[in-house]
Amino acid sequence: MTRAMRRPIAAAIGALLVAATTAACGGGSGNDADEGDDTLDVWIMQGTNPDADDFFAEVSTAFEEETGATLEVEFVEWGDAHDRFVTSIAGGTTPDVAETGTTWTPEFADAGALAPLDEHVDGAGVTDDLVEGLVEAGTYDGQLYGMPWYAGVRSLVYNTEMFEQAGVEPPTTWAELEDAAAALKKEFPDKIAVAVPGDAEFTVYPWVWGAGGEVATLEGETWTSHLDSPESQEGIEFWTGLATEGGYSSAGATTWRETDVLDSFAAGDVGMAVMGSWTPGAIVDANADMEGKFAAVPIPGKDGGISPSVLGGSHLSMFETAEDKDLAFAFIEMMTTGEFAQQWGQESGYFPGQVSLLDETLESTDPLVAPFAEQFVDGGASVPAAPTYGAVQAKATTSTMMQSILSGDADVATASEAAAEEMTNILNGSE
Amino acid sequence: MTQQLTAAPPRIGRARAAIVRPWLLLAPALLVLAVLLLWPLVRVFLFSLQDYGLREITTGEPNWIGADNYAGILSTPELWTVVLPNTIGFAVLAVAGTVAFGTGVAVLLASLGTFWRTVTSSAIMAAWAMPAVTGTYVWVWIFDADRGVFNDVLMGLGLLDDPTNWFTNRWTFYAIVLLNVIHHGFPFVAVTVLAGLLGVPKEMLEAAEMDGAGAFRRFFSIIVPQLRQVFAVVIILSTIWDFKVFAQVYLMPGGAGSNRSVLNLGVWSYVESFGQNRYGFGSAIAVLLTALLLVITAVYVRTVLAEEER
Repeated sequence: MTRAMRRPIAAAIGALLVAATTAACGGGSGNDADEGDDTLDVWIMQGTNPDADDFFAEVSTAFEEETGATLEVEFVEWGDAHDRFVTSIAGGTTPDVAETGTTWTPEFADAGALAPLDEHVDGAGVTDDLVEGLVEAGTYDGQLYGMPWYAGVRSLVYNTEMFEQAGVEPPTTWAELEDAAAALKKEFPDKIAVAVPGDAEFTVYPWVWGAGGEVATLEGETWTSHLDSPESQEGIEFWTGLATEGGYSSAGATTWRETDVLDSFAAGDVGMAVMGSWTPGAIVDANADMEGKFAAVPIPGKDGGISPSVLGGSHLSMFETAEDKDLAFAFIEMMTTGEFAQQWGQESGYFPGQVSLLDETLESTDPLVAPFAEQFVDGGASVPAAPTYGAVQAKATTSTMMQSILSGDADVATASEAAAEEMTNILNGSE
Repeated sequence: MTQQLTAAPPRIGRARAAIVRPWLLLAPALLVLAVLLLWPLVRVFLFSLQDYGLREITTGEPNWIGADNYAGILSTPELWTVVLPNTIGFAVLAVAGTVAFGTGVAVLLASLGTFWRTVTSSAIMAAWAMPAVTGTYVWVWIFDADRGVFNDVLMGLGLLDDPTNWFTNRWTFYAIVLLNVIHHGFPFVAVTVLAGLLGVPKEMLEAAEMDGAGAFRRFFSIIVPQLRQVFAVVIILSTIWDFKVFAQVYLMPGGAGSNRSVLNLGVWSYVESFGQNRYGFGSAIAVLLTALLLVITAVYVRTVLAEEER
């Protein structure tokens, strides 16, 4: 495999220079690295799979055998990736295929940078075998722009030692969750019974959906946020009430991000928290003593069942600059279905985006795999698939709501109304 | 006659050459500056007159909207009630604090012997060399609600019953930013002022001392007037830096936009423009900020020059 691991900064500067001196570049081909038609340029995010080099060595060999084309994989840091996509879109130097975070796909599709995949997916006959939450996230204007590749999901992770000592069982309803928190607080007054972080939007939506509310819905061309509906408010009231009324969280958690939740949980200071299926490894890495001392359950529904949670992951997207779209899709299909998709999931600790591949995972009895898999299949959801959702995240609309409630600056009704109004405005591009 | 005629042209030529030559010599540098600085400035101004987002980047087509971006910025209530008061109030306090503390340290350094001066200036260089990001994380760690040293000490002394989150309150949030920025900014002032202090003639200070002037009198009546230009430079530079504070606020808990009461100009413009792919709007903010800083700088320079003449 020929790895093109250029320095990201150098490449970004290069892209900027290309953009600045458009005269020299001349639009069109897009693939400045192309030496012939039989090379496929691919961008993959760094850090998801610890053995990514070996994995792509195998993929390149298989790809060359199947299509005769050479694969050029470039690894991109998550932190720089959005800026690099934007500069490469500006300079017409986008790769043929790239891994795109699920919330970016509609944004780049809206900008006209991505090619629709429906025909190819139909041709491959996998349309009905894709994980729904990921299809929803990759669909823009009725067309699929992001091929589901892999994703993780958040569930309720709890400290088994603390639960045993306090004599409580993992909760299956909201009332049980509150009782468990109360029992934990009584047994461990100096610890955090349940972490309610103020700067982590994905830990909020399960309670909104679990109470029967919606984050936002699309009708015709218009988005409307329903964070202020009675159902949503009930969910937000329950979740924030654990902190503001029960005192089961901590003052510090008001400004916590998910990484802070992870740090505290790994230190053994937290009874339960909403955490991702990719975090168990990180918890043990941070504190080896935690090995075997924590487990997960799907986020309980209000009166039983599961509260849905966001499927966070990646699509593989094809860019309009790809000259040979069939070749590009051959690669996408190879990566997202069958053997390689399975292997990627196993090596990275994420779930594949193809439903038939999940069966094996679902049969697992691992207490840190099975509950997440159940949540993934039966309780997966997507944030609004709007090209402007990234703007909502940048504006920190949901975190602003959470933080003002948790710090006591506003009540749930006021804060959720302000958030819903702001989200509606931004989603419709009128802010 | 003939002599005069033959003598005159070279003189004119020499005069013209005297005018042209410096420009010729400057031309390469000016050309580079024009390409690197002027053209981007012009571009930013042109972007600020458009609704420029990802779609415009892809298609390459302009999308002129006149002064709408500027109107949008100036009619945002948040700008006047939160963003500008935070930015200006903070800049005033930070500049005053940095310059006062830096000058104090410079005076201290000037009175030390060679050995201790080396030790002390090495120590303050460490504060200067620390990247803003690292420094910010250290301060965040000190004031962390659950695990921070500050809360631990207060609770140990019995001054605080329960852990307090200092990042959720506008005033305590900016008090921490102020500590961070002054800590990071004072070494530059100290070193610059020290260089000026060492240049103050010893004879003047000795003469003043003979006439019975105390240490304060000597400092404010002799040293400060001598250092007027040094102070002008450090104040202007500090003002520009403290106006543009970004990382020190953005990286604090709640500073990235989820606590609206602590937004400053740097974070607000980032959130509103780059965060939302509204590059035209962001360019308009950049143009306004540049204009504002130019005005402040011009006022400073004029005041200093006016006092020089007097």
